[in-house]
Amino acid sequence: MTHESAPQADGPRELLAAVRDLTRQVHVAQRGTWFPLLVLAVVTLVAIPVYRYAPYLDLFGTCRSRQGERVCMEPSPTQLGYWTVALVLAYVAIAGFYVKQSRRRGVGTPIRPYVVVGVALAALMAAVSIWLTYHPLVPVPADPFSVDPVEIEVGPAAWLVNGLASPIAVIALALLVLAWVERNRALLAYTLVYLAIVLVQGSQVIHSTSRWYFLPYLLVPAALLLLGSAAFALFKPSTEVPAR
Amino acid sequence: MTDHPTNGLDDVVHQRVRLGILAIAHQARQVEFGFLRTTLQLTAGNLGQHLTVLEKAELIQIEKGYEGKRPRTWVTLTAAGRAALRVEIAHLKQLIQEVEQGEAAPAADR
Repeated sequence: MTHESAPQADGPRELLAAVRDLTRQVHVAQRGTWFPLLVLAVVTLVAIPVYRYAPYLDLFGTCRSRQGERVCMEPSPTQLGYWTVALVLAYVAIAGFYVKQSRRRGVGTPIRPYVVVGVALAALMAAVSIWLTYHPLVPVPADPFSVDPVEIEVGPAAWLVNGLASPIAVIALALLVLAWVERNRALLAYTLVYLAIVLVQGSQVIHSTSRWYFLPYLLVPAALLLLGSAAFALFKPSTEVPAR
Repeated sequence: MTDHPTNGLDDVVHQRVRLGILAIAHQARQVEFGFLRTTLQLTAGNLGQHLTVLEKAELIQIEKGYEGKRPRTWVTLTAAGRAALRVEIAHLKQLIQEVEQGEAAPAADR
């Protein structure tokens, strides 16, 4: 690394400028942004077969059956279980990656806040989802067979709570913490764009009878995460520490 | 004795390499000898001398060990080191401010 590095004069301006430059170099060496984005993209892609093929387990008794028809007003508990476990495992893998990278590069990364917030948000998402099952913000029709759920009025508060309880948005919120940990403005900008896209997309209702109707909800964020991972990998710093 | 910011400068910290070590260790929580040497562009001997000064002043902790067969020396900032860095940065900022005010005053008099 050949930056300004240690200050060449002892004047206060030079010393402060050097401290700022060293701080920036440390932040660059601490970054490993491509890996969390890749892991989260994989978690999102693996959700596709879970959504399509995992059975709906009516754990909370929200399904109604009539004349061979079955209507379930809440998302599948299987999906919720998948996201909770997958996100926790993802954050464990990400923590392991950063610890290993710290040893390789010779510079520690304070990754704990990101991992703690990520796991806490995953747990909160599960708790809020279960709470919403029993206390729905969207009014549940008395006869679910006669009302198209698409036509139910959704207020902005309900939209916001439902959106923030979604795994895709939870991923973005935790990424904001990673941007802070890495002092990474590019990641902050990327996360805000990602969050805006997934929140807008999440509010769009897809009218389809296909069993693959959910695909855009997962493919769009997964594609964004993969693209982000590739972009950050291309610009990742090369800061391996030479042997002493 | 005046309260001029130069009076508050600690000779151990107010030295370009040692200030650099403290700044890096503060950001990294824990930093390896090789990273410090490369970043500060020092020889191993020179860096070692500065680390010894900081360790004797109890501003850093040095931990030696192995990772596989490679010897590794990790440096961690102590609470006293964090405080010393904070004080030094504050004094430097104050110095700059006073110098700028001193430069501005004669210009205004003209």
